[in-house]
Amino acid sequence: MSTAVSPGRRRPVRPARVVLHVFLGTVAVGWLFPLLWAVLTSFRSYQYTAVHGYVSFGGWTIDNYVTAWQTAEFGKHFLNSVYITVPAVLLTLFLASCVAFVIARFSWRLNIALLGLFTAANLLPQQSLLIPLFRMFTEIPLPAWMSDSELLYDSYWGLILVNVTFQCGFCVFVLSNYMKALPHELYEAAMVDGASVWRQYWQVTMPLCRPALAALATLEVTWIYNEFFWATVLMRSGDKFPVTSSLNNLRGQFFTDNNLVSAGSVLVAIPTLVIFFLLQKQFVRGLTLGASKG
Amino acid sequence: MSRPRSQAEYLARLVPPSVAGLNRRSLLAGAAATGALLGTGALAGCGDSDSGSGGDAKSVSLGSNQSDPKPKDVIAKVMDGFKTSSGVTVNVNTVDHNTFQENINNYLQGKPDDVFTWFAGYRMRFFAAKGLAGDLSDVWAKLDGYSDAFKKASTGDDGKQYFVPASYYPWAVFYRKSVWQQRGYQVPTTLDQLTTLGAQMKKDGLNPIAFADKDGWPAMGTFDILNLRINGYQFHVDLMAGKEAWTSDKVKKVFDTWAGLLPLHQPDALGRTWQEAAQSLQQKKSGMYLLGLFVGQQFSGADLEDLDFFTFPEVDSTIGAKALDAPIDGYMMARKPKSKDAATKLLTYLGSKDAANVTVKNDPSTLVANSGADTASYTALQKKAAELVGSATEIAQFLDRDTRPDFASTVMIPALQQFIKNPKDISGMLTSVENQKKSIFTS
Repeated sequence: MSTAVSPGRRRPVRPARVVLHVFLGTVAVGWLFPLLWAVLTSFRSYQYTAVHGYVSFGGWTIDNYVTAWQTAEFGKHFLNSVYITVPAVLLTLFLASCVAFVIARFSWRLNIALLGLFTAANLLPQQSLLIPLFRMFTEIPLPAWMSDSELLYDSYWGLILVNVTFQCGFCVFVLSNYMKALPHELYEAAMVDGASVWRQYWQVTMPLCRPALAALATLEVTWIYNEFFWATVLMRSGDKFPVTSSLNNLRGQFFTDNNLVSAGSVLVAIPTLVIFFLLQKQFVRGLTLGASKG
Repeated sequence: MSRPRSQAEYLARLVPPSVAGLNRRSLLAGAAATGALLGTGALAGCGDSDSGSGGDAKSVSLGSNQSDPKPKDVIAKVMDGFKTSSGVTVNVNTVDHNTFQENINNYLQGKPDDVFTWFAGYRMRFFAAKGLAGDLSDVWAKLDGYSDAFKKASTGDDGKQYFVPASYYPWAVFYRKSVWQQRGYQVPTTLDQLTTLGAQMKKDGLNPIAFADKDGWPAMGTFDILNLRINGYQFHVDLMAGKEAWTSDKVKKVFDTWAGLLPLHQPDALGRTWQEAAQSLQQKKSGMYLLGLFVGQQFSGADLEDLDFFTFPEVDSTIGAKALDAPIDGYMMARKPKSKDAATKLLTYLGSKDAANVTVKNDPSTLVANSGADTASYTALQKKAAELVGSATEIAQFLDRDTRPDFASTVMIPALQQFIKNPKDISGMLTSVENQKKSIFTS
């Protein structure tokens, strides 16, 4: 309640408001329940829940985390995820901002068509490209020092390329709209000072785009990190799998310990949570900046 | 040159020629140059560290689906044994069991490891027939200690061998000796005896037959054994290969018999995993359980020693009770291994009794295929299982290994689950299976 209302005369609670809060509460609980359930399960021993069922209380242990870390070799696979995610995000943002800059700042005939092309590629279901991509990747050679597979298939390069390609469309869309909202006067001033196109891009546009870039970086890190489909089909070496694909290591041939899998999933989810909490402010700012044009 | 009069004019002058005079050739050239730049310089920092392996005969790669801790450890020990005997290093590429299986098509058509783990049966013949596996006839010439049943299970449609068996486990009816002794139950040898025994167990307050089919595959075991007992091995294999009709009276009879047995099965099986069903056996709530030898994973210590089994009883005396499901795991060779010489050496070693001895010593939950191996350290259960399989006239591989993978998972799993839910509509279910089979096997 705001301070303007004195404690003696509270505004009457309207039924609509009660309904709203009940609705919001239910949705929040429904949303959080599976997550909390996984966290809870991950701290319980399989022996205990096997005997007493999951609707019980007890059997607390942190062994699941230790076992998950060791059997799935998360240390190694987290590093693999970093090898894929970091270059992919940087490259996506760089290439997308270049395209967005051209689309937003220069008017030539194919402007809209180009933007449409990038946005449309976003709507294409990625899975439908699996077979052609797989064939291409097995045909494209790489030198041995780049990948021991000597092919784009089963190399980090291939995965980075796939992720960059599929993520560019969305980033171009967001960035070009953002750049269009930047004031013209800035460019006129830069022009008068004799700034080249590169300079206008790198030293005028990019610093101003920082909030949008931060927001996109947050999203892209999460998306590329969570991506596991391409890693599973375009890789064949278990040692090179990113962490999301290696989560399957916790499933046994005949027997799956759900508590262990929960612990593994929580571990895998932590980096995305950290990124979100760290960049939360930029994220929200980046999305709303430009909403109210000054 | 005149000064630009507007922003647009100024910017237009700055557009690089490759964009301004947009033509296809220059755009392509630009793209190619960018690609080359990215490919060579910009990202050079993240190449793989272990490049340049393979190529010479000093190393060979093995794709392994043995991702469970125990079997993984056994693989490592067997490979150590190979290294000491031959001097060739094995690079093991372990991919988790389920992913490996689901990706096998991609894997084999891409760039597979020289040698890889796989299953005997239709699944092996399917890839051999497509030319995706290497011919191992010359390896088999050097192998000894394998029964004809194993050789048959390793042979492709063209009569050549494509597979080296390593280990296997039988499917049988498991029970607890203590419970049976206490109640005076006798091992049934005919279907009638099984039904009578089941009725008695019900009276004694037990679930006669533990049952679970949440994951879809355990019920395949029940179907397999009933079909083998009622219609025999050859019909089973032909049915799995799509050569027999699912709507035939023979198949109907299998499901009719099963429907008669269903009241003896643990109810609500679709919501239960096999682990839970096995625990009901372990907790002495169920009388028996038809499953693979791996059921022992749910038992430990004294409980494990209390575990015993018998083969599923005879249904038709002209067919007998000598055939069973005993899935065989083993190794195959890629169609074009980097070093055929090293791959052949490795496969010969994997089929030898030395490799089998290492497995026996380190893994008590499996049986080794080579009869020359020293099996003195087998547990009583393992010994009995080996005898059972040794006396089998024919060995089936389990439904999902004996037929096309897409048929097993997309058609059979839902069909069997539907049957368990509603055992009354057998002919409707079978007609639907037959229709789907036709479209899958002709594709």
